[in-house]
Amino acid sequence: MINKTATLSVKKRIRLTCLNLFYIGVCFLGLVPIIYVFLLSVSGGGGALKTGLSILPEKFTLDNYRRIIVEEPFLRWLLNSVVLSVGTMVIAMGTSVLASYAFSRFRFVGKNASMQILLLLNAFPQILSMFAIFRLFRLMNLLDSHVGLIFIYAGSMCIFSIWNMKGYFDSIPIEIEEASKIDGASNFQLILRIILPLARPAIIVTAVMVLIFVWNEYLFATTFMLKEESYTLAGGLYQLQANDYSRSWPLFSAAAILVSIPILIIFFCFQKYMVSGLTAGGVKG
Amino acid sequence: MKKSNRKLTPWLYNFPAFILIGIIVLFPILYTGYISLTNMNLYHWQDYTFVGADNYVRALGKVDSGFIAALFTTILWTVVNMVLDVGIAYILAIGLNVEGLRGRRIYKTLIIFPWAMPAYVSILAWRVGMYNTEFGLLNKVLVALGFEKMDFLSKNVPAFLSCVVLNLWMSLPYMVVMFDGALQSIDRSMYESAILDGAGAWQKNWYITIPSLRKVMAPVVIMTTFTTFKQFDIVYLLTMQKGAVSGSTMQTIITYAHQNAFVSNNYGLSSAVSIVIFVIIIAFSAWTNRAAKEV
Repeated sequence: MINKTATLSVKKRIRLTCLNLFYIGVCFLGLVPIIYVFLLSVSGGGGALKTGLSILPEKFTLDNYRRIIVEEPFLRWLLNSVVLSVGTMVIAMGTSVLASYAFSRFRFVGKNASMQILLLLNAFPQILSMFAIFRLFRLMNLLDSHVGLIFIYAGSMCIFSIWNMKGYFDSIPIEIEEASKIDGASNFQLILRIILPLARPAIIVTAVMVLIFVWNEYLFATTFMLKEESYTLAGGLYQLQANDYSRSWPLFSAAAILVSIPILIIFFCFQKYMVSGLTAGGVKG
Repeated sequence: MKKSNRKLTPWLYNFPAFILIGIIVLFPILYTGYISLTNMNLYHWQDYTFVGADNYVRALGKVDSGFIAALFTTILWTVVNMVLDVGIAYILAIGLNVEGLRGRRIYKTLIIFPWAMPAYVSILAWRVGMYNTEFGLLNKVLVALGFEKMDFLSKNVPAFLSCVVLNLWMSLPYMVVMFDGALQSIDRSMYESAILDGAGAWQKNWYITIPSLRKVMAPVVIMTTFTTFKQFDIVYLLTMQKGAVSGSTMQTIITYAHQNAFVSNNYGLSSAVSIVIFVIIIAFSAWTNRAAKEV
C-alpha cells in the first residue's frame, strides 16, 4: 500500500516535471523574437549582419539607442504620438461618454436601432474606407494635419467606446441619480459630480484602450501624414524600416524596444481590466 | 414644452458622437459605395463616369481579377488559423490548470507578452528577426543544422504558412487567457461527482469541460474569427510593403482591396470589392448571431 502511493507520487512528479519543461519551452518560443530584437538593438551597428548561430552580441552597447534619439527625429515623433493620443482621447471620450450615458439612461424612439446600426458600422473594416476618407480630407484640406488624423482616430474608436461604457453605466443603480435629482442637481451637474466618478473604472479602461490604439496605428499615420516630421512613433518606425532596408535594422530594433516599453508597462498595469473589458464588449458585440 | 424637451435630451447627448461617426465612419462607407459605381482611377480622378455594376461584375465574374482567389485564400486563412488557435489554446489552458503546477502565474505572465507588444512591431520584428534570409533566426538554425537557407516569404505556400505561424504567435496569448478564465469559472463540484461516478480524464473533458466552455467561449471565438478574417497587417507588412515586396503573390480580400486602391489606383474596383466584403461580414455576423442564440 505504501509502495503504491509512493509510485503514484513519483508518477505525478514526473508528469509535473514534463509539464513544467513544456511550459518553459512554450514561454521561450513566445519570447524568442522579442529577446532577439533586444539583442540586436544592443549589439552595435553591424550586429545584425553577423552570421553563425550565436545570437549573443559580441559587445554590449547602447549606441543604437543614442543614435535613434539623437540622429533621427525620434523625440519629434514621440511628441506627435503624445499629442495625437491625448487629442484622440479627449475627443473620443468626450463624445462617447455622453452618448453611452444617454443610451444607458434614457428611453427614446430609435434607441435600439441606433445601437444596432452603430455595431453594423463598426463591422466595416476601416482600411476599406481609407481611400474615401483620403479623398474627403483632400477636399477639406485636412491632409497632413494632426487635427484630421485625430478626428479619424476618434471616429474609429467612438463606437467601440460607446458600447464598452454603456454596459458599465447599465450596472450603476439608477437610484443614486434619482436621489440627487431630488436634491435639485441639474443633468450636467449630475453627470459631472455623480456619474463620472462612479463610472471611473470603465472610463479609464476605455481611455487606455484608445491610447494603445493610437500609439500602435501606422497605416493611417503614414498615409495621411506626408512629411517625416509630422509622423507619429508608429509611422516613423514604419518609415525607418521601409526606407533604408538593410542598414537601419539595429536602429529599428532599438526604436522598437523604446516604443514597446511604455505600452508593455501600461498593458501589464491594466491587464486585469483589459481582459474583463474585452469580454464584456465581446458578449454584447 | 417640458415634454418635447425631454424627448430631445437623449439626442442632444448623442449629437456630438453621431456627428463624429457620421463624418468619419458613415459617410466614407456611403462614399465608397458611390465610387464603386464609377470608373474612378488615376486617369479619371475628377472626370469619372458612372459605369453601373461593371466593377462588381469584374470583381465577382472574371476569374483573372483575382478577387475570387483572394476570397478563397481568406477563407482558408480564417479556418486554418481558428482551428489551430482554438485547439492549441485549449490544450495550453488545460495544462496550465493541472493541479500542483507551481509556476502557473509566471508562465501566464510570460505567455501574455506577444499580446502586449504593438502588433506592427511584432510583425516587423518577425520579418527581420525570424524569416529574413540574411540574419533571420530561423535561417541561422537551418544553416546550423546543415540545411540550405530558405526564403520563407518569396513563394505563396511558405509565405502563407509563415503568416499563419506569426498570426498564431500573436493571437494565442489572448485565446489562452480567455480559455484559462473560462476554465476557472467551471463549478468544481461537477468534477467531484463525476469522479465519484468513476469518470476518467477523457470523459470529464468531453462531458463537463467542453460543454461548459462552449457558452463562455462562443463570443470570444466569434470575435477572434472576425479579426482573423479582417487581418491585414500580417500579410501586408510581411510580404507586400512598398519597396520591400517579398515575391509571394498571396492576397487576402482586404489586402486585395488596399492594393487596388493605393498601388494600382483602381478606385472603382477597390470600392466595389470593399462593399462586397462588407456584405460578407454582415451576412456572416447575422448567421453567427442566430447560431450563438442556439448554443
